[in-house]
Amino acid sequence: MRSSAGHACIVGIGASRFGRRLPESQLALGSVAFKAALADSGLSRDDVDGLSIHLGSPLGLDYDRVAEAFGLDIRYVNQSWLHGRFVTHALQHAALAVEAGLAGVVACVTAVSFTRAAAVLGGDDDAEGGREEGGTHGESPPYGLTAPASGAALAMQRYMHVHGATSRQLAAVPMAMRKHARLNPAALMRNPMTLEDHQSSRMVVDPLHLLDCCLMTDGAVVVLVASGERAGDLVPRPVRIAGMQGIRSGREEFIFAPRGMGLNQQTFGRMAARERDLEIYRNAGVERADVQGLYTYDAFSPLVPFTLERFGFCGAGEAASFVQDGAIELGGSLPVNTSGGLLSEAHVGGWNSIAEMVRQLRGTAGASQIPDASCLQWGTAWGDSVILRN
Amino acid sequence: MSETKKPLPRIGPDTAPFWAGAREGKLRLPFCAACGRAHWPAGPVCPFCFSDDLVWREASGRGRISTFTVVHKAWFPAFAADLPYNVIQVELDEGPRLTANLINVPLGGPRIGLRVEAVFDAVTAEVTLPRFRPLSVA
Repeated sequence: MRSSAGHACIVGIGASRFGRRLPESQLALGSVAFKAALADSGLSRDDVDGLSIHLGSPLGLDYDRVAEAFGLDIRYVNQSWLHGRFVTHALQHAALAVEAGLAGVVACVTAVSFTRAAAVLGGDDDAEGGREEGGTHGESPPYGLTAPASGAALAMQRYMHVHGATSRQLAAVPMAMRKHARLNPAALMRNPMTLEDHQSSRMVVDPLHLLDCCLMTDGAVVVLVASGERAGDLVPRPVRIAGMQGIRSGREEFIFAPRGMGLNQQTFGRMAARERDLEIYRNAGVERADVQGLYTYDAFSPLVPFTLERFGFCGAGEAASFVQDGAIELGGSLPVNTSGGLLSEAHVGGWNSIAEMVRQLRGTAGASQIPDASCLQWGTAWGDSVILRN
Repeated sequence: MSETKKPLPRIGPDTAPFWAGAREGKLRLPFCAACGRAHWPAGPVCPFCFSDDLVWREASGRGRISTFTVVHKAWFPAFAADLPYNVIQVELDEGPRLTANLINVPLGGPRIGLRVEAVFDAVTAEVTLPRFRPLSVA
């Protein structure tokens, strides 16, 4: 095992049950996951002195209520925007805080009830949709474009036009996630999915079918982050945050599309991955070819091909072909979201996939285990990334 | 005119000239007096050259569809009666892309590349939404 010095580590993971319309409050789900993460790490509640959260109230939990309800004494807080796009940010800020000495152990707490808070996501109570009018998701409520899925639909429609990709090709993504979920007892969607099932599922936002859209679920995941120095004393096999890369933003970025696609105000052209967006590999001291599994925020199936192209796993326009024939399934050239992802395991803001990465690197992923997993990448269509190693 | 229950645009200091133009049936854009480019969404400075010297001018109102979707789910109850309805992005001849709806939809639905022109739909006494229709070649 390499030295953990200088690298923040994940020292504990815990989860509640996942489900739809669970009766428990988000705080109750969060407390189950929090206790499970403490038990997993061997830490006590008093060791946790930092909180990092992105999915706040009313969908999730705000840091102050977590600290109050769980009886914590917190000296570092990061709470960012209620968006899937801030998963990586929340994990990264936990890592930065422990390495800077602002906290000893930071708990990344994600506890959501998408079913109870459905109206805040594209519904009547969606302040986000209003805020984003003309923004980088593409929502425009006055014209009836009110939910994140529609931004992904606008991007996929154009991707299909530019590259000749088809919905039948895209189906390989949710089908792969479903295969992975079928190996995972915690996953919510475990019935088989055929191409025909995908194609005959109802259209939601053309060209996205129902089975291209993730589950709206309830559940909690807690991830505990400590400095490398501390982690070595705590757990036998800490998982190192070996490298990080931040979110990209600007007129050339549309959250749900590769660069250069001509969405919103993007220039059309130059779609290939840029060197600047590949610094994650240099930061982690690995080559892209060393990555044994890719984990991503698969809220909508196009986000998987867009992520593959963003990080140069294939060229611009090639991802729809790349994902065929089991390439992104366990046993394929680049397994993606081996616990089933948001599309078939559960939507806990992507933290269910980060917990899966930790299990993989500990060698405890059971039937889903990637042989000798030692280098896994979390990366999103919007360009941020974390590489985890053991 | 019945007052709509649909969401209305948030009109602020940077976007007010656009909505004032729409009420007059004109599609106005902020042009940069320094570099000449129009930008969208409207901001206080030119995002290309960072000049403060912006001038609102009437644009052609013409462009082509760069992407679209057809919405089959009523996230907002106020849109339920319209299902399924389209949302398009239009690349204006001046460069910026606007999001809107296509009316007078041709057989086969919206398509990328279709030439369109702005029309103006007064949805309330204060707010007129630009929408687009296929460009007549007459």
